[in-house]
Amino acid sequence: MHDLLINYVVAEICGEHTLQLNEEDLLLEKGIVDSMGMMRLVLYIEKKFDLKVPPEDMTVENFRTIKDIGNYILRKTN
Amino acid sequence: MNTKGIQKKGLTHSQILLWAGQQLSPNAPLHNTAHTFDISGSVDHKIFVKAFQETIRTTDALRTVFFNEGGVPQQHVLESIEFEPECIDLTGKKEEGEIQGIVHGRSRWKLDLEKRAFDCALFKINETRYIWFLNMHHLVTDAISATIVYKRVVAIYSSLEQGEPEGYTNFPQYTTYVDFEQRQHLEERSSEIQEYWENKASAGSEQPVFFGRKPGNSVTEATRVSLKLGKERTEKLKALAKRPEIRSWTHNLTLFNLLATVFFTYLHRISGQNRMRIGAPAHNRLNKSLSETVGLFIEIFPLEAEFCEDDTFNSLLQRLKIEANQYLRYAQPGSVTPKISGSFNVILNFINASFSDFDGRPMKSEWLHTGHIDITHQIRCHVVDFDNRGDIELLFDLNHGTFSQDLIHKVPLHFLNLLDAFLEDPNQSVYAPSMLNTIGEEPATTLGADSDHRNTVIDEFKIQAVSNPVAPCLRFKSETTSYGELDGLSDRLASFLLENGTKQGDRIAIHLERTPEYLISILAILKIGGAFVPVPSNLPKQRIEYILEDSNCRTVLTTSQLKRNIEDASLKSVLLDIQKEKIYAASPKLNPIHVDAQDLAYMIYTSGSTGKPKGVLISQGALSNYINWAKDAYANSEKYRFPLFTSIGFDLTITSTFLPLVTGGELVIYKESGQGPDIALVEVFEENKVNAIKLTPSHLSLIEGRNVSNSKIKTMVVGGEDFKGQLAESVQDNFGPELKIYNEYGPTEATVGCIVSCFNRTKHKKTSVPIGKPILGMRAYIMDSHKNKVPQGVVGQLYLGGLGLAKGYANLSETTSEKFIENPFIKGDRLYVTGDLARINQDGEYEYLGRIDEQVKLRGFRVELTEIEANLQNYPGVKNGAVVLIEKKKAIPEDEVFNCTECGLPSNYPNADFDESGVCHICNAFKNYEERALRYFKTEADLKKILLDPNLNADREYDCLSLLSGGKDSTYILAQLKRMGLKVLAFTLDNGYISEQAKDNINNIVSKMGIDHIYGTTEHMNKIFVDSLHRHHNVCNGCFKTIYTLSTKIALEKKIPFVVTGLSRGQFYETRLTEELFWHDEMDSAYIDEIILEARKLYHQEDDAVKDLMDTEMFQDDSTFQKVQFVDFYRYTDVSLEEMLEVLKNDIGWQRPTDTGRSTNCLINQLGIYVHKKQRGYSNYSYPYSWDVRMGHKTRQETLDEINEYIHEEEVLRIMKEIGYEESGETEINQEHLVAYYTGDSAIPSMELSDYLKKYLPEYMVPRFFKYVEELPLTQNGKVDKEALKQLNLSQLDLDTPYIAPNGEMEELLASIWKEVLQLERVGSEDNFIALGGHSLAAIRVSARVKEEFELDVPLNKIFELPTIAEYAAHVEKTIIALLEES
Repeated sequence: MHDLLINYVVAEICGEHTLQLNEEDLLLEKGIVDSMGMMRLVLYIEKKFDLKVPPEDMTVENFRTIKDIGNYILRKTN
Repeated sequence: MNTKGIQKKGLTHSQILLWAGQQLSPNAPLHNTAHTFDISGSVDHKIFVKAFQETIRTTDALRTVFFNEGGVPQQHVLESIEFEPECIDLTGKKEEGEIQGIVHGRSRWKLDLEKRAFDCALFKINETRYIWFLNMHHLVTDAISATIVYKRVVAIYSSLEQGEPEGYTNFPQYTTYVDFEQRQHLEERSSEIQEYWENKASAGSEQPVFFGRKPGNSVTEATRVSLKLGKERTEKLKALAKRPEIRSWTHNLTLFNLLATVFFTYLHRISGQNRMRIGAPAHNRLNKSLSETVGLFIEIFPLEAEFCEDDTFNSLLQRLKIEANQYLRYAQPGSVTPKISGSFNVILNFINASFSDFDGRPMKSEWLHTGHIDITHQIRCHVVDFDNRGDIELLFDLNHGTFSQDLIHKVPLHFLNLLDAFLEDPNQSVYAPSMLNTIGEEPATTLGADSDHRNTVIDEFKIQAVSNPVAPCLRFKSETTSYGELDGLSDRLASFLLENGTKQGDRIAIHLERTPEYLISILAILKIGGAFVPVPSNLPKQRIEYILEDSNCRTVLTTSQLKRNIEDASLKSVLLDIQKEKIYAASPKLNPIHVDAQDLAYMIYTSGSTGKPKGVLISQGALSNYINWAKDAYANSEKYRFPLFTSIGFDLTITSTFLPLVTGGELVIYKESGQGPDIALVEVFEENKVNAIKLTPSHLSLIEGRNVSNSKIKTMVVGGEDFKGQLAESVQDNFGPELKIYNEYGPTEATVGCIVSCFNRTKHKKTSVPIGKPILGMRAYIMDSHKNKVPQGVVGQLYLGGLGLAKGYANLSETTSEKFIENPFIKGDRLYVTGDLARINQDGEYEYLGRIDEQVKLRGFRVELTEIEANLQNYPGVKNGAVVLIEKKKAIPEDEVFNCTECGLPSNYPNADFDESGVCHICNAFKNYEERALRYFKTEADLKKILLDPNLNADREYDCLSLLSGGKDSTYILAQLKRMGLKVLAFTLDNGYISEQAKDNINNIVSKMGIDHIYGTTEHMNKIFVDSLHRHHNVCNGCFKTIYTLSTKIALEKKIPFVVTGLSRGQFYETRLTEELFWHDEMDSAYIDEIILEARKLYHQEDDAVKDLMDTEMFQDDSTFQKVQFVDFYRYTDVSLEEMLEVLKNDIGWQRPTDTGRSTNCLINQLGIYVHKKQRGYSNYSYPYSWDVRMGHKTRQETLDEINEYIHEEEVLRIMKEIGYEESGETEINQEHLVAYYTGDSAIPSMELSDYLKKYLPEYMVPRFFKYVEELPLTQNGKVDKEALKQLNLSQLDLDTPYIAPNGEMEELLASIWKEVLQLERVGSEDNFIALGGHSLAAIRVSARVKEEFELDVPLNKIFELPTIAEYAAHVEKTIIALLEES
């Protein structure tokens, strides 16, 4: 799952295929992704994993790293 | 210009919106996006030119030009554009201001978009300072694009300077984005996104008005003010943004949310609007390529916030966080529409873009403001830190439509106060911080200079009496009383009082008519240092009693006649008529007394909200302050001659009472005529003896038609109510320019008047005349709900302070402490909480904006009723208007409805009443008359006798026509009639919606039983349905009537003597056997039959679609009712449900239809239920089913199930379309309406008034209903009685007849009967019975009650012949008189 997410971020959001991204990188805090970009990731996740992310869940904590996002998805789909 | 290879494209949505805005103001540079880059260092012009030209070459946006092709804008990307940025030498200029002026001025140059959408120049200030000026039209740029262009130019310049090779790659092209956007629009737009923005844009669609100023229409002029937050504050802000409960995904988003919180709070505090939207631009660059493209990308979407009373900054922020996240989700490129763009008038623009240095040279950038912005934007707030200094700057663009020059410079300060408060304590209320600066800003208060008058009114009177004893003081009819005489008389009365035990400090009531004795009494009481309590002669006894007791008066000055009103024997009465001689025999020598300013002068009672009047305690000091001010303020060249014609219990009258007396003038007394103040007012004008007058605006309207050109009145003081500008103008016109008109505002608690203006028609152009400025000795503050002084122009509550404040209320210490509070700004001082709304206008005058309770909230918007009224009155033909907010009956929410424990009647049925066991009033009433009602029912033997009457024509083909619906009741009848050996013709109405199964049933049954059968139809059925829906909110009424009509016709044709109906017993009680019929024992069954027959005749004469469209002539002929008689089968049989079902199953094979979903054959039935429920809030089957249960034909549970059954809305809507029924969109329930009442020569079509008002008022302030009335009802004190106006029913409002109150006992009694029967709150004398919903059953009930009330038999049809209360009452009276004369 993490790879899937990483690929999406790198290819679709950053548009820089050479970017090395790992699951512990601080996406928002390091400015890798801005808020609109993060929203695109959310839309992607919603579609891919068939879930709905309510606005209250859109916190730094839930979307800090690829790992955190993965955990969030797991929580929502169980 | 190279025309080869031009790319032609349409515009993106954002571009179109901007283009349209520019078209509206073609010469305004509102979309010039200009920057200056102030470079410290030298810049090589040649290299710069090359760098810039290379940039043009590689940036398609810069090569874009625009054309208008027949109204459709097009953009053309040219292959190249020849342009060389010039270098302008300003080295001669030394003045910085001049330099800036030149540079800034260039930003306003109009760009010819057909040639080039940008402008660029390099200004040389000196050898080491250059200013690069760059202007790009917004159509091709936004903030980020500007930074990209800057970066590119700088990069190329740098390379060139270092001699690096040329050949720069093209930027990603804007056209790629344009194509992408076009494609987006062709594809299906996600409906979820569309819906989200639709809702955002429509809900509560009004835009807020700031500082009470509505922007003028075509203003683009604006001023930009800068607010630098400073390093410290910026740090604080950033620190706050890091807190876990505050932060959002990114730092920038968090900052945005924080600033949005402050911004929304600011907007709320200066508009008073609870719910509003601001536009926030989204940068729309969703991938790397786009973030490197130059062009216009931003789209502006709204953010919404709604305020609650207890909001803190934090609570608001938490909601905005959610709102912002939603925004992120739905703000997809290409989603904006004109409706969305039009839904806000404020912008918050968070710009996350910056310019770095110019190739190593330090650079300071400035975003230039051209002095113009979008017409529709009132405030724009840009948040920038362009030079990345860690110091956030806020730029406010303020539209001159709303913001005057002085306001403009206050905005940043107001904002800062709020921001600082937020940073200090996020958990404080958003209302707590004051927006005004403690130093430097003028608070909204005026301190009248302290008056140092020490003279009491008695002192002043004495001065006049001594210097001019023979001068006339009082005039009453033909009597004149001189100053000397009045002085003497009052002295003697004072002595008399003292001799008889009255002491200084006592309160003494005066219960007199307006006569000289009144004045003598007042002066006498004041002379002994007492307080007078005026008790008007026309007060009801109860109230008089209350006042006398509450005021603690031991003595009352009255006359022998009026004494009858005083019950309390312990009160000492001084009868000024009878005891005259004794009184005036008393000594005229009074010992001088000393009166303190704090001693009580008088007590006047005002209406209290709890129902009992409140006694206001006014001191000598307060009275003196007012009178001494007034005598100078209102002075004219002559001595005052005032009329005394208003109620003595109204403090309005104090002015007229004292002003003449303290100035040597005259008081002309007009006694009450027993019919209220109006007549006295007329007398005043007829006699024309006075030169000054004090009165209310309502009084003025009463004399409007009069010719007053001869009037001697030169001074007019108007008080008591809002004074409309229109009225003031008309008065000025009628009286002439020498008349001075004063608008005097003041609650009783602040002694008569305390804020006054002199009407000036050139200055006062608004809908209401301003109330002016506080008088000497008085102060006023305008504060918001948290007792913050509001900035000038903002509406708030008015608080009064100063010498004129009352001491409080008698015996109401709690109310007194609520209404008289401590002055938060001056220790030890008091303020009176007026409950009035006001603001200070641009001239520094106060404006009255209505009561706090007249300020209504309509769907979250503040509505000033007075404003609507004044605008309404501007319409020609409208004399006076009064607007009220009517809250319609609230529908009971589904889960709160409960049902009668016996019959299941739901609690949302109108007027349903339940006892402690949960049994409804109908069940209980029925228990009382059930036995008597049984007399009405008969046996099968009786039926046979009727149907097989030997006198009937033996050759008849059929004995009877039986109405067969196919349901159990009518089918059972067929079986029985057959069994009885009768020749039956069965008739069914095919209304187009009988279910297939039902039809099968019917066909099977009649064939099985071998009975002749006809289906009847009419081509008008759909129209009849629609009519029935409009009239009765159901379909069954129309259907039944059609059945009766058609069956009668057939019976007539075929000479069938009887039509047998299948009305169940329950239906008898429901439709005919109303309770009233059984109140009298003598109502036997024959009598009831007569009544029912009469009702039936009327029923067929009702003017509805059936009468119009079908052939109903036969009903005009009475003999029809002889030739064809209606017989209700179930009157003659009492069969149980079980037995009925047995017979149906075994003997006939009747099947209950299942394809209609309920116990009916009919598919259109649910449409009726749907409409009824929607429009009236309850099921139309509630009542009929309850009868079925009472009769044992249904169980309570079955009723509950059926009433709450699910309705297929789609199916219903489909059928609606089929029959051509359009929902009116208006339901009676759950809506608040503004209703405007107006007077004038005649009624004006509501459409006209509504259209007119829509030009001046926001949509939500335009009244839904306009009702013409002959006169607006007034309270005792001459003000419009709005409570009375609120009492009307919706259907009455639709009528065009003016409301006239019932006149006289007879009419009132009838009105109360009608009200009960028709379930209305109010019935006017001229309202039409049928139009109000009256029908034959209601007629029966009214007649029965009339009989009960007057022992009079009025034929049923009379109410249709004489359908108004006025006519009906006249008839009843005539009849009674005739009867009396006979006997």
